[in-house]
Amino acid sequence: MNDERLISKKEVLEELGISYGQLYRWKRKGLIPETWFIRQSTFTGQETFFPRDKIIGRIQRIKEMKENLPLDDLAELITTQVNEKLEVAFSRLRTLGWLDDQVVEACHLHPNREAEPETVSVSEALCVGVLCRLEKVASKEEMALAKQTLDGAATSGLIEQIRQEKLLFYLLRKRLAAAGISAQISLAVIAQEGARFDPEIEVVRSIDLQVLLETIRFDLVNGRGPANGVEHEESKGES
Amino acid sequence: MSQERNSASISGAGVINGGTYTRISISGAGKVTGDITAEELRISGAGKVLGRVEATQITASGSAVFASDVIAEEMRVSGSARVDGRARVKELKCSGTFKAGGSVSSEYIKTTGDLRVGGDVEAEIFKATGGFRIEGLLSADRVEIHIGGRCHAKEIGGERIRVARGGWKEKGILLDGLIKLFTGGGNAELVTAQIEGDEISLEDTTAEVVRGKRIEIGPGCEIGRIEYSESLDVDPDAVVKEKVKV
Repeated sequence: MNDERLISKKEVLEELGISYGQLYRWKRKGLIPETWFIRQSTFTGQETFFPRDKIIGRIQRIKEMKENLPLDDLAELITTQVNEKLEVAFSRLRTLGWLDDQVVEACHLHPNREAEPETVSVSEALCVGVLCRLEKVASKEEMALAKQTLDGAATSGLIEQIRQEKLLFYLLRKRLAAAGISAQISLAVIAQEGARFDPEIEVVRSIDLQVLLETIRFDLVNGRGPANGVEHEESKGES
Repeated sequence: MSQERNSASISGAGVINGGTYTRISISGAGKVTGDITAEELRISGAGKVLGRVEATQITASGSAVFASDVIAEEMRVSGSARVDGRARVKELKCSGTFKAGGSVSSEYIKTTGDLRVGGDVEAEIFKATGGFRIEGLLSADRVEIHIGGRCHAKEIGGERIRVARGGWKEKGILLDGLIKLFTGGGNAELVTAQIEGDEISLEDTTAEVVRGKRIEIGPGCEIGRIEYSESLDVDPDAVVKEKVKV
C-alpha cells in the first residue's frame, strides 16, 4: 500500500530521541527491516523515509525491550527470518486474554495444559490469534473452518510465506436465496492484501497475518525471554 | 596430497572433497569441490573453494577464490581473496586485496590494503588506511578512515565517523604523485553520496549530504549540504555549499 503515512529519518530521530548510531546499529542487527527504508528525492536531495506507524511502534518497542534484553537476543526475536521453532508459553496466551473457553475448544487445546509449563508453536499461536479475533463474529462452524484452513496452510509453510508477502485471513459469507429458500455459505480464505470478492460476499473479518505474527513474537515470546524459548538459529543475514 | 587425522594438505596440485576437517592447507594449486567446515583453512598458493566455507580461521596469503559464502571467526588476507557469495567474518584483516561480490558483515574490519565490495559492509568497527570501493552502505558504530588511496562508498552511516587525510600528504608533492600513480591517477580522497552519524569529522572528503549531531569539516572537503543538530566547524580550506541547523 502506498498511502501509508511517511515520516522522515530526521523526524524519527527527533521525535523518539534516538541517535544515528542507534538507528544504523538496529538496522544492522535486523531489528528494522530493510523494506521500511524508503528513499525519496526531496528538494534537498535524497532522503530516507519510513512508514510512520510501523517505525514508531517498532522503535518504542526496541527501546522498552532493550532494557532487559541484550540486542542480539532481541534481534533473534525480531529478525525478519521467522523462526518456526519459536515457542510461546501457553500461560501467556491466557494472561494476555487470547484464550477463553470457546477458543480453547476450537483449537483443541487441552484446557489443563497451562498447569504445566507447556508451550505452543508459533503456528499454533497464530491460529489462536486468528480465532480469538474471530470469536465475537463467527459461529462455531466458522471457527472450525478457520482452524482447518490455518492448519492446512501451516503444513505448507504459511509462516515462511507471511514473512515474504502481506497475507490476510478473510472470513467471508455469501447468502444465496432462490425460490423462498435461503442458505448461507461461509468461506475461510488466506489471500494477499487487496483480494477482491464479488459484491454479494460479505467480508465478516479480515486479519493481517503479518501484524499478528509480529504481535506473537513481541508480546508472547518476550515475556519468557529467549533463553528457554527460542531455539538459536543462524538466521541473521541479508536484509 | 596427504590426508591424516581429518586434515588435508595439497602442496602440489590436487583436489579436496567437501567435508569436515581440522586443518586444510593448500600451498600449491588446489581446489575444494564441496562445502567445508574446518578449524583452519590456509591458502598460500592458488586455491579455489567451490562450496560454502565455515571456518574458525582462514588465512589467504596466496590467491584464494571462494565461489560461495564464507563464514569465519577470523580471516586474514595478505595476498588476494575473492568471495563470490556473502562473507560473514567476525574479524577481517586485509593487507592485500579483498573482493566480495555480495555483502560483508563483521564485527571488526581492518584493511590496510584494497577492499572492494559489491554490496553493503557492516561492522562494529571499520578501520581503513588503504583504498576501498563499497557499492552499498558502509555501516559501523565506529568508522575510521585514513585515506590511503581512492575511497568510495555509496553511503556511510554510524555513530562516530572519522575520515583523516593520509599521512603522505604532508610529505610533499613527490609522494603525492607516487600515490596517484599507484592508485590509478585518481585523487586520494573519499567520495560518497551521504554520510550520517552522531559525531563526524572529515578531511579530503567529497559528499553530497552530511547529516549529524556534531560535525567537523576539515581541509580538502567539498560538501553539498550539511545538516547538523548540535555543532558545526568548517575549516577555511573546505567548500560547503549549504549549512542547515536542524
